[in-house]
Amino acid sequence: MTQPMVSLRGLYKIFGVRDKEMLHHVQGGMCKEELLAHHKHVLGLNNINIDMQAGEITVVMGLSGSGKSTLIRHLNRLIEPTAGEIIVQGEDVMGLPEDRLRHARQEKMSMVFQKFALLPHKTVLKNAGMPLSVRGEDEATCDREALKWLNRVGLSGFENQYPAQLSGGMQQRVGIARALTANTPIMLMDEAFSALDPLIRTDMQDLLLELQKELHKTIVFISHDLDEALKLADHLVILKDGLVVQQDEPQHILLNPNDPYIEDFVSDINRARVLRVRSIMTPLDDGKVPKDAHGEVEVSDTLESMITRSGGDTSHAYVVKDGEKTVGTLDMTELVRALVPRVASEAGARQS
Amino acid sequence: MALYDKLFSALGLSDWCGDSVDGAPLSLSDLSVRAGGEEVSGPFFPIPSLDNLHESCNRVWQSRDVTNGIEEGFLAAKPALKTVLDPITQPLSWMLDGSLWLFEATPWFIMVPFLVAISWYASRSRPVTIFVAASIMLLAVVDHYDVAMQTLSIIFVCTTISVLFGVPIGIAMSKSDRLQKGVVPILDLLQTLPTFVYLIPLIFLFSVTESKLYGIAIILYAIVPVIRLTDLGIRLVDQDVIEAANAFGMNDRQKLMQVQLPLALPNIMAGINQTIMMSLAMVVIASLVSAPGLGVNVLRGIRNLELGVGIVAGIGIVLLAVILDRVSKAALTRVDKTQVKH
Repeated sequence: MTQPMVSLRGLYKIFGVRDKEMLHHVQGGMCKEELLAHHKHVLGLNNINIDMQAGEITVVMGLSGSGKSTLIRHLNRLIEPTAGEIIVQGEDVMGLPEDRLRHARQEKMSMVFQKFALLPHKTVLKNAGMPLSVRGEDEATCDREALKWLNRVGLSGFENQYPAQLSGGMQQRVGIARALTANTPIMLMDEAFSALDPLIRTDMQDLLLELQKELHKTIVFISHDLDEALKLADHLVILKDGLVVQQDEPQHILLNPNDPYIEDFVSDINRARVLRVRSIMTPLDDGKVPKDAHGEVEVSDTLESMITRSGGDTSHAYVVKDGEKTVGTLDMTELVRALVPRVASEAGARQS
Repeated sequence: MALYDKLFSALGLSDWCGDSVDGAPLSLSDLSVRAGGEEVSGPFFPIPSLDNLHESCNRVWQSRDVTNGIEEGFLAAKPALKTVLDPITQPLSWMLDGSLWLFEATPWFIMVPFLVAISWYASRSRPVTIFVAASIMLLAVVDHYDVAMQTLSIIFVCTTISVLFGVPIGIAMSKSDRLQKGVVPILDLLQTLPTFVYLIPLIFLFSVTESKLYGIAIILYAIVPVIRLTDLGIRLVDQDVIEAANAFGMNDRQKLMQVQLPLALPNIMAGINQTIMMSLAMVVIASLVSAPGLGVNVLRGIRNLELGVGIVAGIGIVLLAVILDRVSKAALTRVDKTQVKH
């Protein structure tokens, strides 16, 4: 694969005054509880290595306190790491002097916040145009761009209102429009939809996927919600106590959880809706197409749609197509088996 | 004071203390000793004050030496202080005198509509504006228009200077915890020091005929709230919004002008309102050191026991206070409203 857009190499963050001295304890294998009990320092991130590919949505998931919000703030250095490298488009962010760092924040990375963080004294239009005005663009350009993106996120006609006049969902649309106006290749979204109620959240997720289809940004999305993570992620990273427990394609994690922590996570998921044919089909080795197939299905079909299609009959089998190409076969018996969560597979040993 | 006599001899300090050749005037107890020939026996264990210790040991200072020392020290430093402070504060005198001249020279039929217009512009409230017009006319009817304008002129100059200095000091304090730690005790001191005490060192430093004397006293007293509330207001700005400003790459100046100051404005306005009120309180006391205005009449009321004069002037001050408070508060709520429109 080509060079990743963002890569984190051996990233550590320890909160406390003598963080650098604590580093060797952590590298020596001390866990979060021990470090807090013996040295009064809090371990935020522990040896993080992640590659984020251009044009993909990387979702970092974990419970509160797992360090996910800390992680995303390292990308634009809102938080300084204790050790490690942060490489964005081949350039080490850690080595940037202050003015270049500000420049990078303006041109490379925009951010969407959980609590929206809009400027309450400015109109929606000025809020959305803020990233450009920070760069010193003239007012007409700011307003034009802001208006374009506000329309795109479905906020036409609200541009002269103040943030406090809008509902939470609409405020976050302004937040997204602001990030889009910045027109940066990377978008950082810190629990962007967590403060919204479930229906609005689904709307916003759809909006994001729709925008991503045409914009192909590199999106880093933080979430504590597995459904959301599975829906959005091209690459899923699961964090626990500052440590990457598993990172992979989401379907793979769902089928092969390598840790009891992840098993707990994935056990409540509606697997039929999330898993796709691609993940459970039997690949075709020699181009032989079974004769008794009941029909053809797409690799990206969900298992749920397959169950509907077969009418629940487990004796059916289907030919799997990826566009024009035949890529595998699907046995409904296999499908039913895949719906039951598996024990953590021995194969996928703990990474990192 | 037998106890302390023994104490000093026990410590072997009798020689150091020397003979009790007392150059000081006779105390009451000394007199009674002479008259009656019988020593008044004090308490067995008197408070170890300087004066009491002095009776046992000549080398120990008396309390009046302490106050003398402070006075002499201040007088010794005075020439140096004066050479530095005089030129720096001279513009204040010019401003106070100039503004006084302007307020007095402007004929009332221009001044009154002007003030009413300002209160309308600041408050955008009809009741407040009508109240201002009525109050000024009431003062004018009882021939207190001129003195009221003098007071207003002093408040105007002192508040303006307090804001000009106070807001930047407050901003600097909000940026640096160390500066805040250093400045807060000074502000506490300025706010708790009895108002008359301000005047004492100033009288020594400057001549009573100079208007900067009362100007400085008023500013020192009134600048405190605007500094405090600017600092507080900026520190209270939502950290999430500051983080967003950082994430989009604002520099410090952009952050200050576009985020922190606008969001701190309601607090700063509250500070300015307090500053106006406090300069009004001080301008009355400053009439002791030749500040013109309503305070002079109050002083006359006290000195000559002219009850009516004092009370009319007092009511005039109250009216002025209410005017200033209502107008600045109305302006404050207007600023607040533009922040959160619902």
